[in-house]
Amino acid sequence: MTAPVLEVTGLVKSYGAIRAVDDVSFAVMPGEIFGVIGPNGSGKTTMFNSVLGQIKPSAGRIELDGRDITHLSPLQLSRRGVGRTFQSLQVFGRMTVRDNLIVAAQEHRGTMLGRMFAATDNGLGPKADALIDQFHLREVAHRRAGELSYGQQKLVDIAMAFMSDPDLVLLDEPCAGVNPVLVDDIARLLRDLNRVRRRSFVIIEHNVDFVQKLCHRIMVMVEGRAMAIGTPAEIRANKHVLDAYLGN
Amino acid sequence: MADFLQLFISGLATGSIYALAGLGFTLLWQTSGTINFAQGEFVMLPTFALLAFSAIGVPLPAAFALTCVLAVVVLGWGFKRGIADPLLRFGSMPVVVATLGLSIALRNGVRAGYSAEAHPFPSLFGDDVFRIGRVAVTSVDVGTLAAALVLVLATQAFLARTVTGRAMQAVAQDTTSAVVLGIDVPRMIFYTFAINAILACAAALLIAPTYLAKFDMGESLGTKAFFAAVIGGFNNSRGALLGGLVVGVCENLAAAYVSASYKDAVALAIFIVVILVRPQGLVGQRVERKV
Repeated sequence: MTAPVLEVTGLVKSYGAIRAVDDVSFAVMPGEIFGVIGPNGSGKTTMFNSVLGQIKPSAGRIELDGRDITHLSPLQLSRRGVGRTFQSLQVFGRMTVRDNLIVAAQEHRGTMLGRMFAATDNGLGPKADALIDQFHLREVAHRRAGELSYGQQKLVDIAMAFMSDPDLVLLDEPCAGVNPVLVDDIARLLRDLNRVRRRSFVIIEHNVDFVQKLCHRIMVMVEGRAMAIGTPAEIRANKHVLDAYLGN
Repeated sequence: MADFLQLFISGLATGSIYALAGLGFTLLWQTSGTINFAQGEFVMLPTFALLAFSAIGVPLPAAFALTCVLAVVVLGWGFKRGIADPLLRFGSMPVVVATLGLSIALRNGVRAGYSAEAHPFPSLFGDDVFRIGRVAVTSVDVGTLAAALVLVLATQAFLARTVTGRAMQAVAQDTTSAVVLGIDVPRMIFYTFAINAILACAAALLIAPTYLAKFDMGESLGTKAFFAAVIGGFNNSRGALLGGLVVGVCENLAAAYVSASYKDAVALAIFIVVILVRPQGLVGQRVERKV
């Protein structure tokens, strides 16, 4: 039996008497696209930030490839091959698109001393160019990221998460604020990236249609708890989910 | 016209030193959100370290190298760990207040513990005078300007053309994102403090022959370097260079053509005008707040 890439067990994050994440458990298998949906305030991003070391969980255990990562920092997780994107754009606005991609992976290569005076490409130029082509960013590759449209910046943001060849990528609302055509493009890109390297994704998204089409399994969070986990068809048929979340 | 050009070149030389010290302000601000009002004293201390090494017979180049190492440890690592790190978690204002106190403490510490007198300092560039037409230019002015420009441009090149420099830029633009991408943010911030300490040593080496080594030499230098950084643009390291040169040239010309008494007010006047008309500085970028 294949072991999960990411396994979260009994995750709790409390703020005083409020349990923002309440005993959440799930596992993400190699090559799986795992969606997380839920209404605003259901604890999705808090769960994400706990998994990624951005906030300390109050209880629970998080394992990456069978190793405990519960108390690792975002920096340590990044160096263990975990990528992430944020709800808001996190591109470096005063750098070019190509430089944004290179900076996203440069710290994963070479020694500290080697990087000190290495040329800016650091051998990552071809990789950056390949992603630029894959994400259809060739025309704007040498423009500053801050000058691009929101949708283009979103693509840069997502591409950056893949520069270091992560085995697991957590994407927080990749479709937020982008037009329907770009939503389809993002879905296609993620599907391609998943297929080629059998990378695993965890995706938080409000666009239920996007999640249902793209994800292999979905977890529904309501009031900090995992209400249901299952395939899109199972989630669609789950009466509790329909009552509590989809408002059926 | 010859007098004007002479004053202009001499102003550029002085301004290039303001630029060196001002560059430290912009670097620290961009990577760590710190304003170090002891920056002038960060130039004064290496001056006295150089004097102390010279007094025990260490040749000037070796004294400079030793001073740089000492400055990186004390003014870079020590300042970061002792003042910036513990106070930054409470915002930038406590650091500002602490550095104001630090500048007073360092000034009076040197006065009480070393000397209140002005000490002559050897020049790297001799005391030759060249004539280009009717314009007389001193070797000190040319050497100071050239050395400061080389240092500022080398720092720029390091930031723009190396992997580490780009990581430092990334930290300056978005710390959260930099962490997630695997950039060691505390280390990048330390590099910035270390570069600032080395630039301060270089400024000490360049300014002390003209202005002499004195406990209060950093007071005026630090203020003008701050004005230079704001005038050029606090979020743009090229701005420090432009701001420094503008301040240096304008105060030299004002001293000659208006009144020497108002020389020190020139930087303040330009600072006020820039703040009112173009608050982001001459080449700085307007920063929008994220909602």
